[in-house]
Amino acid sequence: MLTRQLSLSAPIFLFIFLFQEAVVNQFKLPGGGFSLFVIFALVWAVISTPEIAALTGFGAGILMDMSQSAGGPVGQWTLIMIIICYGVSYLGYGDGNINGNPIGVVFFVVIANLLTGLLFLASSALLGVTTGGFAQILLTLLGNSLWTLVITPIVLPVFSFMHNFVFETRTVL
Amino acid sequence: MRYGGEGRTRLLLIILIVTALFLITLDLRGVAVLDGARQGTQTILSPFQKAGNFILTPVKNFVTDITHLGRTRNQIEKLRADNAKLKADLLNRRNADAQLKQLESILDLAGTAGYKVVNTRVISQGSSQSFSQTVTIDSGSNAGIKKNMTVLSQSGIAGVVKEVYPRSALVMLASDPAFKIGIRIAGTQQIGILTGQGTRSGSLQLLDNLTSVKVGDVLLARGSVANRPFVPGVPVGYVTAVDNSAGEIAQSGTVRYYTNFGGLGVLAVVVAASSSNPGDALVPPKPVPTPIPTVTVYVTPSPSPTK
Repeated sequence: MLTRQLSLSAPIFLFIFLFQEAVVNQFKLPGGGFSLFVIFALVWAVISTPEIAALTGFGAGILMDMSQSAGGPVGQWTLIMIIICYGVSYLGYGDGNINGNPIGVVFFVVIANLLTGLLFLASSALLGVTTGGFAQILLTLLGNSLWTLVITPIVLPVFSFMHNFVFETRTVL
Repeated sequence: MRYGGEGRTRLLLIILIVTALFLITLDLRGVAVLDGARQGTQTILSPFQKAGNFILTPVKNFVTDITHLGRTRNQIEKLRADNAKLKADLLNRRNADAQLKQLESILDLAGTAGYKVVNTRVISQGSSQSFSQTVTIDSGSNAGIKKNMTVLSQSGIAGVVKEVYPRSALVMLASDPAFKIGIRIAGTQQIGILTGQGTRSGSLQLLDNLTSVKVGDVLLARGSVANRPFVPGVPVGYVTAVDNSAGEIAQSGTVRYYTNFGGLGVLAVVVAASSSNPGDALVPPKPVPTPIPTVTVYVTPSPSPTK
């Protein structure tokens, strides 16, 4: 069962990562834009069990670390994504108001995306990665959050359908 | 209801976190395997990024036009009148013209200084998720590009080559917060350090407390040992504000870069500098103010009627 789920999840994650790098990154959007791949990983984590969410975070983090635009050392995004994905899944697991409700999922994804940015900043400070001035950081965090709030409801049905297809669950958001 | 937290999940979580920490440690210790993995990923991604750039150029132009709606309203009105094919043709042509113009300016700049350059196109903007300012260019080590080479735009310095792959390279833009460049002020030859701030403005710190800087002063790259990462004489920007706060060890200020980092299409990587320092030869000419037409009206009083 797990083999089937992993073998179906891996190409989906690779495709979204490729789409992010080849298409989404082409656009210089105001407010720093958004990361479709992060949104996808977070949605996947919110509607999965904590065990799957941790693995999701690990896989997504590894791919993000391999991106040429990853600022820090290899493993930084992996660590962040494991913690965030596990955290959101742990807090929402079994609570239908969160992972069974589209508004709950969007809310969780936006908050988790913001926490991802903050955790990146904190870990960057520890690892000596330069991240910029306060105003620029604030603008990027705010911009990313607003973009995530706009994009997540649009892509949620697609991502939820994919999740349903892989895990054969009955609920589709 | 919260998840019960079974032992297996906790063990898995610990293993994954330890693995991530292990990777960070390996990377910080400079293990070549991880660099190779990143390089391999970029080699695989590069053709997709090039294809994405080619396909999405008309869309990007469209988005840019929307973003600058106020400034290009007349142009948009005109484009609306054309049919779909003409629109696409026109957008492609405009893109090619803009890139050609950028290329001409870059070659003029490089030719004046005697730099040997490799011209490249920007194929991807870096993700802002990492709070960094980078672009990917479509030439790499196969074209003779190496790490820490100066990258020029049509107006001056654009950044420095951070990572090199066989067919592409990652350029850290001069606006990146981690970017620092030694500069000298054209004319007075005072020296200082310019740091990126994430925007088109940079932060200038003079090194000598006995010198001063004024608004409008032009900054040029001071150059590095063996011309890497910076070749000397490249225009960087001009001073827009000066901080004269008491208590500062040396004067500081704000600088506006000549390069518009939002509209980078064509860049040039300096692969060899000229044998002589170009000095102030690359200082851009000051804009000539457009004369305001004046109208002089002569009024001749009509002769007063005689009685």
